[in-house]
Amino acid sequence: MATTSAGAASAFPSPFSIETPAGCEGWEELYPYYTRFTEARREIDEGRLWFWNSMHFPLPMPAFDVVSIDPPYQAVGAWQNRAFAVPPAMGVDYRILNGYVYITVNPVTDPEQIAARAEHFQRRAGHYFANWDELYASWRTKMEALIAEITELEVPGLPELEPEGLVFETDGVSSYVGLLDAYRRALHCCDLMWHHHFEFLLLGYGAYLTFSEFCRAHLPDIPEQHVAQMIAGIDVLLFRPDAELRRLAKLAVETGLQDAFVDGRTPSEIETELGASDAGRAWLQELEQVKDPWFNMATGDGLYHTYRSWLDDPTIPYASLVAHVAATVAGDDVERPVERLRAERDRLAEGYAALLPDEARGPFEELLALSRTVFPYVEEHKFFCDYWFLTRFYNKIREFGAVLAEHGWLEDAEDVFQLGTHEVASALEELCLMWATGGPPLGPHHWPPIVARRRALLERLGEWTPPPALGAMPEAVNDPMAVMLWGVTPQRLQEWAESLDGAPTRLTGAPASAGVAEGPARVLNDPALLGTVRDGEILVCTITSPAWAPIFPRVNAVVTDIGGVMSHAAIVSREYGKPAIVGTGRATAVIKTGQLLRVDGSTGVVEILGEAPA
Amino acid sequence: VTAFTAPLSGLRSADEGTFGGKSSALGELLAGGIPVPHGFGVSTGAYDAFLDSAGLRGELEALVAALDVDDVEAVAAVSATVVAAIREAAVPEQVRAEVHERYEALVAEAGDPALPVAVRSSALGEDSAEATFAGQQESYLWVRGAEGVCDAMRDCWASLHSPPSITYRARRGDTGREPAMGVTVQRMVDAETAGVMFTCSPVSGDPSVVAVNASWGLGLAVVGGDVTPDEYVINKVTGELVRSTVGDKTIEYRPDPEGRGTVRVDVAAERAQAPCLDAGALTALAGLAGVIERHFGAHQDIEWAIDREGRVAVLQTRPVTVVPKARGPAGGSALALVMATFGVEPRTESGS
Repeated sequence: MATTSAGAASAFPSPFSIETPAGCEGWEELYPYYTRFTEARREIDEGRLWFWNSMHFPLPMPAFDVVSIDPPYQAVGAWQNRAFAVPPAMGVDYRILNGYVYITVNPVTDPEQIAARAEHFQRRAGHYFANWDELYASWRTKMEALIAEITELEVPGLPELEPEGLVFETDGVSSYVGLLDAYRRALHCCDLMWHHHFEFLLLGYGAYLTFSEFCRAHLPDIPEQHVAQMIAGIDVLLFRPDAELRRLAKLAVETGLQDAFVDGRTPSEIETELGASDAGRAWLQELEQVKDPWFNMATGDGLYHTYRSWLDDPTIPYASLVAHVAATVAGDDVERPVERLRAERDRLAEGYAALLPDEARGPFEELLALSRTVFPYVEEHKFFCDYWFLTRFYNKIREFGAVLAEHGWLEDAEDVFQLGTHEVASALEELCLMWATGGPPLGPHHWPPIVARRRALLERLGEWTPPPALGAMPEAVNDPMAVMLWGVTPQRLQEWAESLDGAPTRLTGAPASAGVAEGPARVLNDPALLGTVRDGEILVCTITSPAWAPIFPRVNAVVTDIGGVMSHAAIVSREYGKPAIVGTGRATAVIKTGQLLRVDGSTGVVEILGEAPA
Repeated sequence: VTAFTAPLSGLRSADEGTFGGKSSALGELLAGGIPVPHGFGVSTGAYDAFLDSAGLRGELEALVAALDVDDVEAVAAVSATVVAAIREAAVPEQVRAEVHERYEALVAEAGDPALPVAVRSSALGEDSAEATFAGQQESYLWVRGAEGVCDAMRDCWASLHSPPSITYRARRGDTGREPAMGVTVQRMVDAETAGVMFTCSPVSGDPSVVAVNASWGLGLAVVGGDVTPDEYVINKVTGELVRSTVGDKTIEYRPDPEGRGTVRVDVAAERAQAPCLDAGALTALAGLAGVIERHFGAHQDIEWAIDREGRVAVLQTRPVTVVPKARGPAGGSALALVMATFGVEPRTESGS
């Protein structure tokens, strides 16, 4: 299969050679002008490597969700390039092609400039490493304040008549001013969140990457998962939601409520039955306690507005409860084996340290300690930023959608996500103007057809499979960002290039959790479909998030398109002892639901054994 | 009493000068509690005594001194003459008596009056390198009876005068003295499987793995390169099998059914391609590798065998001479290493 010559696999298609899928003409109108591959930048853009950021953006972007692209890339570039001055790398450029996000990293190539930046970087990053715990503590304080701010932000409606207070009290402000201000403040909160998000992230990943490379240099045969296991946090906050569900499952069994948790029932059906008994009501009360804050998880990684909070869509936690209850009834101990994990982690760290030559042991132990210091941030920021904040933020935007819908600018509050952030601002401006003047509005005629057209476009764009990469194959990938965040290595690029040819029956990725498993594939690129996963299937997805953890007990193995051994799919798979392969490039494009797979989590090879039954 | 022999369990590294490298290393292993088949060493003095009692010393030195080492035929002729002379000469009575006594002690321990043993040369010092060079690690396997041991011992001595050995010593300019050599006599292991293992990766130098090569029957097949052995890589920390490649083990060496020596036999295709070690055996081997490495404080190249009852035995161990160097930065603070990840070059003196 992999007999493609090196020459044939050395380049990716030019971004300018990619055609618009049939029926998707005009997709460009969803996005800002600067997101396109255009003639003005053609020469530069064709000479760069662009890879599909399917880790963060597996689906075509709804117009509003560009709010999950611009602010993060502003923030990552600002911190990396302008604040810390990472010597060889500036920021991340992105383009949108047929609705999908491609990215590239801007290198610094001038040796003098690199040297000058190195001076700044050492002082600035050094300050963070030296004061990590203290800085992280204040980070949590400000993030919690920001989450409270977005949650409490009031979105005023536009009343027929202003309340008397506006007239009889001295410093009143008309509702429309409050509405326009609230929208700007919501976007401002989002900018701040992304700013905070990247404050520590690069430095944290960098420390981790250094440890992992140190291990690979001195212990060339060390399994990658051992490196990850030595660092991984045991008490990390992200494991709490699932741990709470396990506790609730045990409680349900202890109080005789197991019969309510039937596979296939909806959350509301289960809650209705529980509500009919004292024990059930007590359990529901306990559940309410757990929800704040542990249900502030997102069904996906939070970047899309469609990834709802567990609070809004409890399908995932209930699917998990059903599985945990069944396991508890069957006599399994569903509690997370914290002690075993801790012992295993210490055994690995001590075992490897003892085997290293004396001169390498000191740096090994120091790097491990540093990696463990930074790891909680690397994991926990997702809970605060990507899940808790973003689900609140998108819900706040729904409130603006509701105001627009109430006045006829939109047919449904959810339609607000078919407009770009500036278009929403524009629609709100017109709404306020027409509400104030009482004149004939244009919005109700203008926006609904646009919304309908864009919904249809997104659906068609979703049927298209983006190539994993575009443009020129670089001679070297030495950008710490590309390696750290996306696992883009020369080997991975080569594999992606080869997978472009024909219909492979074999894919390779990074072995992330050992073991061999077989089963039918369940290809998911939309977390809304997590409920369709059946026991014994092999989950094939672009990337998983910790919010998916509850589904892991049901599946036999996990295969992802993108991500490294520190990705959540990898961590959670190891916790559950499920084989996992990450970073296969395009498993979701090649594999079809129902196909029989064999996954070898030790070698990183996925084989398609047979076709789905007709 | 001049002791020409000693039980292996009584020898240590310090005895290398009198008993040779193999016997003394096996003594060290036994002292470290490592399962090594029991046996005894014959000292280099026994060979000296043999040369003197047979009156061969002067004759050998004269023959070699007059030799043109570039004359292949002449070397072969001298070798044949010397080997024949050694084989015809009698073993000194005291050496014979000690060999008989030690062999009978092994017989008593094993309860087998015709106990099979392996008789090997135990070279020392520079001669150890020569032995390796000249492929002179002669092993006489499945030897039975004290007289058989004496014969095999003489064969070991004779092997010092094979054409390559003569040539090697002459080229090194070392013709003025007879080489010294001890002999090792050990109970034979009736190996179901046998092979070699390294206490680090022979390829990458990774100190956290044990690399095992294994094949059916006696270890000869692996050491001699007669088969493509199974390859197993085991993680020392977790004991997990990191990877394995099952070889095509088409032949094996077994004890000759006639009772003396070994025979080379074909292995049925199905068995040839079946893994010859199971998880339990690999765990035992990896554990043993760790014990041996710690005992010597250096990476070791170990010959081992597993008998038909599943007992593991170590037959030989020597330091791994060429350990690939780790590629990584050794020194430097963690912070400096992290800085390097972000492209901060280690500071260099200005003007350099």
